[in-house]
Amino acid sequence: MVERRSLLAIAGILVAFAAGLVLFFIFSAPYGDGLERTMEHGGVEEPEPVYHAPLDYGDSYAVALVMGIVGFAIVLGSAFLVGKAFGKRGR
Amino acid sequence: MHIPDGLMAPLVAAAGWLVAVAVLAFATRRVNRDLDDRRVPLMAVLAAGIFVAQMLNFPVGAGTTGHLVGAALAAMLLGPWGGMAVMMVILTIQCLLFGDGGMTALGLNFVNMGLIGCLVGHYVHRAFPEKYRIPGAFAAAWLAVFLGSLACALELSGSYMLSGGSFGIAPAIALPAMTVYHAIIGVGEALITTGVLAYLGQVAPEMLRMSRKVPGSPAAAGEVRTDG
Repeated sequence: MVERRSLLAIAGILVAFAAGLVLFFIFSAPYGDGLERTMEHGGVEEPEPVYHAPLDYGDSYAVALVMGIVGFAIVLGSAFLVGKAFGKRGR
Repeated sequence: MHIPDGLMAPLVAAAGWLVAVAVLAFATRRVNRDLDDRRVPLMAVLAAGIFVAQMLNFPVGAGTTGHLVGAALAAMLLGPWGGMAVMMVILTIQCLLFGDGGMTALGLNFVNMGLIGCLVGHYVHRAFPEKYRIPGAFAAAWLAVFLGSLACALELSGSYMLSGGSFGIAPAIALPAMTVYHAIIGVGEALITTGVLAYLGQVAPEMLRMSRKVPGSPAAAGEVRTDG
């Protein structure tokens, strides 16, 4: 039962994400979040990162959608493994 | 609210890592003790759902956007320690794979969004009686974001003062800007959180009962214990 619900939840989340991403590109894409706006107020530019990540969320709908699905799958797998590794004694 | 590399003073960033490691060590023990194997798929789906929800920024006015943090929601469904484990997985993947949040600031990002978000979300929500579950979730989710942003503002201010202005942002700017923006963003967080809980209450109410340990509920037996 949990597995079926999980699959339905996964499908629902991905559909909601695909739809929400459209609204994001229409209404929010050019704006910064609360911390980025605070940095603007303080005259602080984003410093050079010490670590360069291999991926980014992308600037177009298609790339962001693919990255969202990639990230979804990786987080799903990682959280599952963490839960299995650390939660096993709670059975 | 993901802090990038190089914004905070090294001492503040190191303190964040120290707190994060200590809390995660404790959280891991609690998850190990309390998390039922049958809850692992829910934990994984919740983590993945929060990840994609965090990608969707919504406009809050004045050229600013916000996004769901999700820690309060995770804590309401999995308990504070399970919620923290979920948040650490999300923040780590965002940092390592997508460069969202700096490596040196990962500890602080966990403190602001994972630790504060989950503790505030869980305990404030629990403080409300069962019949006020939805208003309680609204208050808990809003407060989780607001207090997380206040912590971030204090870290920015502390970095500024410790470094003589080389890092961080002056308190006179950081404190009002962070808290005002996130007071508004928190409303979005609260609306999404209560929406998800109301939806779950309709389609899968046992998921809510599991996290609140309703006495006599068969679904609650052997599930995640959230008694602190």
